[in-house]
Amino acid sequence: MVQPALEWQAGTVTAIRPETRQTKSFTFALPKWMAHRPGQHYDVRLTAPDGYRTERSYSIASPPEHVGELELSVELIPDGEVSPYLHDVLMLGDQLEMRGPIGGYFVWDVAIGGPLLLVGGGSGVVPLMAMLRHRAAQHATLPARLLYSSRSADDVIYRDELESLAASDPTFALFYTFTREPPVGWTGYRRRIDGAMLGEVIKPFDKRARVYVCGPTLLVEAVANALVQMELPIEQIRTERFGPTGA
Amino acid sequence: MDNDDGDMNTALMVDGNAVAGQLGQIFGRDMTMTVARCAGCARDAAMGALLAFIRGPGVVLRCPACQNPIARIVETPTAIYLEARGAAYLRMAPQP
Repeated sequence: MVQPALEWQAGTVTAIRPETRQTKSFTFALPKWMAHRPGQHYDVRLTAPDGYRTERSYSIASPPEHVGELELSVELIPDGEVSPYLHDVLMLGDQLEMRGPIGGYFVWDVAIGGPLLLVGGGSGVVPLMAMLRHRAAQHATLPARLLYSSRSADDVIYRDELESLAASDPTFALFYTFTREPPVGWTGYRRRIDGAMLGEVIKPFDKRARVYVCGPTLLVEAVANALVQMELPIEQIRTERFGPTGA
Repeated sequence: MDNDDGDMNTALMVDGNAVAGQLGQIFGRDMTMTVARCAGCARDAAMGALLAFIRGPGVVLRCPACQNPIARIVETPTAIYLEARGAAYLRMAPQP
């Protein structure tokens, strides 16, 4: 697929929605909007009055079916350079320098097919959500599962949307694991993702699964190693790592 | 300790995908599916899957198999330096 050269453009904020205590979703209208592939990201650039510039990459949360706009979900990193600006300063109608869509590696669309296993940790769920939203917009029925690791139920991004999708779509299954504070009475997973957990979630798909893993580096490493030990063909595994100060 | 250093570096690592925008700017095309052959171990990897260290003053891309540095990128106000002697070659589809 050939893309025209990427150029910076000014996106205008059209909506801001809090997702969790730490995460907000920002919707931007773009003058040169281009359909993206779920999993791609945009670079965001801030320029200080003295000319100092800094850039960050943020995964696109919205599906390409959402024409003309795109949504980025951003986790607040308290001592970060960019996310505190986005969270605390950016307002409706403001403009931001952006370029994208970027990346051809960590992408999935219905043409690639399934069965689809998505594994996310924390804000690593964002590009996976774009895949699920695209799958829903296409009314695809290929089986999909999401294994999503969060510290607590309050940290689950897109919780209502995920749970209503799981309730209404029999071909989609949602698995949470809570690593710090499971809800009272929780009977599901309550530990970091490990090989045993992955083995249970992947079981109906077996070695046919196409797996997308996104999250902190250590989670991605653990999951990728476990998948390789299960002898899942390596070309069916795509990973995206966030550094610890990814935002 | 060596172990702590190793863990910290691993924790700071992201993928080549994280610098896809910068690579795209330099090469004028998406480079994440371009294959780099490591000059150290001769294995192939998509550039989007290289190990990327982006928190320094420049970017270092390493082979996911042997961790040999494949490429380094530094941008100054007047120039972009791309050193890639760790790559035996890059293989990409021709643009129609």
